[in-house]
Amino acid sequence: MFRPCHPLHLVLGPMIWAGWFVAIYASLSVVCSLIPPATSQGAITWINGMLLVLTVLVALLLVILGWRCWRDASANTRVTCNRPFISKVSAGVYLLTAFSTLMIGVPVVLLPPCI
Amino acid sequence: MTEHINTDSEQLQQRLEKVWGNLPGWGTLAAVNHTSIGMRFMVTGMVFFLIGGLLAMLVRTQLALPEQAILGAGAYNQAFTMHGTVMMFLFAIPVLEGLAMYLVPKMIGARDLVFPRISALGYYCYLFGGLIIVSSLLIGIAPDAGWFMYTPLNDARFSPGRGPDFWLLGVTFVEISAISAGVELVVSILRSRTNGMSLGKMPIFCWYILAMALMIVFGFPPLVLASILLELERAAGWVFFAVEGGGDPLLWQHLFWMFGHPEVYILFLPAAGIVSTLIPVFAGRPLVGYNWIVLAIILTGFISFGLWVHHMFTVGIPALAQAFFSVASMLVAVPTAIQVFAWLATLWGGRVQYSLPMLWIFGFLVVFVCGGLTGVMLALVPFNWQVHDTHFVVAHMHYVLVGGMLFPLIAGFYYWLPHFSGRMPSLTLGRWVFWLIFGGFNLTFLLMHLTGLRGMPRRIYTYESGLGWDWLNLLSSLGSFVMALGVAMLLVDFVLHFRFGRRAPANPWRADTLEWATTMPASSYNFASLPDVHSRHPLWDNPQLPRSIAAGEHGLADIDHIRRETYGTDAVTGQVREIFHLPSNSWLPLQGAVMIALLCISLLLQIYPLALFATIGAVFVLLRWSWHNGAHPRANPLDEKEPVDPPLHSRTCNGPGLWGMVVTLMANGTLYASLLFGWLYLWTIAPQWSAPEDSPLALYPLLGSGLMLSAAVLVYRTGTRRLRAGNASQLQGRLWLATAIGAGHFGLLLSVLLNAPLSPRSLAHDAVLMVMLIYLSAHSGLAVLLTAMQAVRVRIGYVGARLPYEPLVLQPFWTYTLGIFWLGFAVFVLLPRTFGAFAAGGL
Repeated sequence: MFRPCHPLHLVLGPMIWAGWFVAIYASLSVVCSLIPPATSQGAITWINGMLLVLTVLVALLLVILGWRCWRDASANTRVTCNRPFISKVSAGVYLLTAFSTLMIGVPVVLLPPCI
Repeated sequence: MTEHINTDSEQLQQRLEKVWGNLPGWGTLAAVNHTSIGMRFMVTGMVFFLIGGLLAMLVRTQLALPEQAILGAGAYNQAFTMHGTVMMFLFAIPVLEGLAMYLVPKMIGARDLVFPRISALGYYCYLFGGLIIVSSLLIGIAPDAGWFMYTPLNDARFSPGRGPDFWLLGVTFVEISAISAGVELVVSILRSRTNGMSLGKMPIFCWYILAMALMIVFGFPPLVLASILLELERAAGWVFFAVEGGGDPLLWQHLFWMFGHPEVYILFLPAAGIVSTLIPVFAGRPLVGYNWIVLAIILTGFISFGLWVHHMFTVGIPALAQAFFSVASMLVAVPTAIQVFAWLATLWGGRVQYSLPMLWIFGFLVVFVCGGLTGVMLALVPFNWQVHDTHFVVAHMHYVLVGGMLFPLIAGFYYWLPHFSGRMPSLTLGRWVFWLIFGGFNLTFLLMHLTGLRGMPRRIYTYESGLGWDWLNLLSSLGSFVMALGVAMLLVDFVLHFRFGRRAPANPWRADTLEWATTMPASSYNFASLPDVHSRHPLWDNPQLPRSIAAGEHGLADIDHIRRETYGTDAVTGQVREIFHLPSNSWLPLQGAVMIALLCISLLLQIYPLALFATIGAVFVLLRWSWHNGAHPRANPLDEKEPVDPPLHSRTCNGPGLWGMVVTLMANGTLYASLLFGWLYLWTIAPQWSAPEDSPLALYPLLGSGLMLSAAVLVYRTGTRRLRAGNASQLQGRLWLATAIGAGHFGLLLSVLLNAPLSPRSLAHDAVLMVMLIYLSAHSGLAVLLTAMQAVRVRIGYVGARLPYEPLVLQPFWTYTLGIFWLGFAVFVLLPRTFGAFAAGGL
């Protein structure tokens, strides 16, 4: 299942992204509802820090998975079966979801959490 | 010699037609084959399109001049609400699903979809649900608070009439149809492609439909749940959205837009699939960037689920959370742009034929890109606040939906018209139609952006003169009538071409995909024999393929067994694994849909004994349906002469039913996840959430019930493990044992439900718990019932070592039931105890 040419890789990246997206939105909403940090702290709060760390870790994971698939696709260019197709598309999906994760994560360093 | 071959070929086709054809006369209502059902979806969808269009004309007539009284406020509200409802639920999705149901098997080299009876059930659910919704217009009590049914405007206090009930019940009914088609399309695309058609060789249209179908599977359940909850609130007084009982109206908005935003892409993706199919044909070269487009489809499918809050930017969500959704909304433009550039590159690198369908494709490119750009504008939070609920949003939405869905759909209709009728469209009339609709559309909606920017709110039935909106509204209305004229000509063109259209030659557009290898109009069985495929362009590789297919020179050409058969292939490689035997004409889908319609109507009229009768009737019909499967004499009883390599699917452990069960459970799981979301959302966010001091659920009986369920699943799985290994001894006993233990669990769960001191009419906490318990009980009861039925089938001989299929199909259902039980136990019972919700009255 974890071979880079497994078809699950076509959707694993977006699934990780979706899990991360739900996690950051849900945790932010719950924190703001129950224990909001002081507004005077601006964007330098523990919740922003936590979201940033999570964002970077998830993006890193996606890049690593994308790199594995890309390497597999490059090593199997002459194979006529599905392998290069799945690896190549999966690599692209991973890398674009990593990009998407980082882009959505940017506001974490700019905006206060609960205003 | 040639004459001899032709005679053989004709004889083969006559025999195939006898097996695959519909019954004559009224018997056509029992038809299940995808060509008939797909056409019915499309024709019915077009009728609803005309109804929706007529309502739009009423709206535009009313707004043409200031202070008009052609429609009163109430009638106007009904008109715009029903326009949105009809267009979104009764036209756009069904017509695209119909097109997909019609085309997909033909494109992948199959003879039918894998669950033909479900296709028919889906159609009748759609038809009856649509009629129920539209009937509210005829009796003047249509819903009148907007197509997204916001609470509290639509609760029993502010909308005491029956309008919202028509919407909630009717739309839920229609969504059964959409989800069933979604499941069917997913499994058919993954498992019934012709030999050799690997994922990388699949027609690009099928990738789009696969994504659309999966999005339906995951996108529609939140709305189904929301509709059930709101109907329970309206009819039974249970609290979910009313603030004073601990509910929250924003929960409705979240659940609605979790469906509503992906919905836009559910409409766009198949339309983009049409574009990606037509452009290479008319450019005369393969699509540039096939892999990039597949990547873009996957990303669009996922990212579109992360945008729902951009419909809620004005409800008071923290700026940081808004920024997440704002950026995600802009990011979805990236995969869309990948597709647009791939289309442009294909056109750039080909020799483009400017045929009629291409006019619509160019219209699409212009209008959709404009709609996409205003979408990026709306993703910006400050701009969104400014134009929220103005005509700017209405204009943007129509640019996206008409440009992004209707234009490609019409392009597709013109392109596949020879397929439906065997005749070519009229180029002259077709060009008139295009310019009238394109011109009328832009006159209506381009100006409407300005009307919105000048501050005109949506959904007002009239306005004062002198606000700067007069001439804009007049021109918009004028444009809408030009567009209506174009639609009328389109219909005339379609109707006339059946009589006067030039006879279409074989493969008239010189296309590359397999649907053009069928006869025109298409036969009921699509292909007399099923060809092997070695590339993405089978007809460009071998233009003689239609002839050799018709002559029966490829696979599954034998029809002496009088079974409806198609290939069952590996989901990834497309290598043949099994032969799927498909059901023939059946009245069961119609009977099932009639029962569900009766349930729907009795709930509308609040005649609950009738609702109970209809429920029992529906369950009976559906069980009878599942009884007529596998080795039942009406299906495919064991036969010594039946094929073994590849075998019939009901003699294996991996047929389409198993895949269908898993995909259905994905939809079901999404509904359950939405319920969990609702519980957690209300618990943490609802302003007046409150909970009783002690948990109303008896902990130990519930725990005991869960342990019994675990034991039942263990027994069941032991039986299926042995069956998978070819050992059916003691199978019947094990199934009965699982039934008995499962029945014990069900009884205990039911007693917890009936004895719990719940007050769903006064506390949202109790109302959600009640829904959760009912949901768990329904699953447990069904698992027990179906297992008992399997045990009986073992005794009769319909299930056994040579027929291991059915218990294996049921196994994921047991596992799912176990999963939701313990998840529910953790989230609804243990979590509140751990965090002291009952003592503190909130987290």
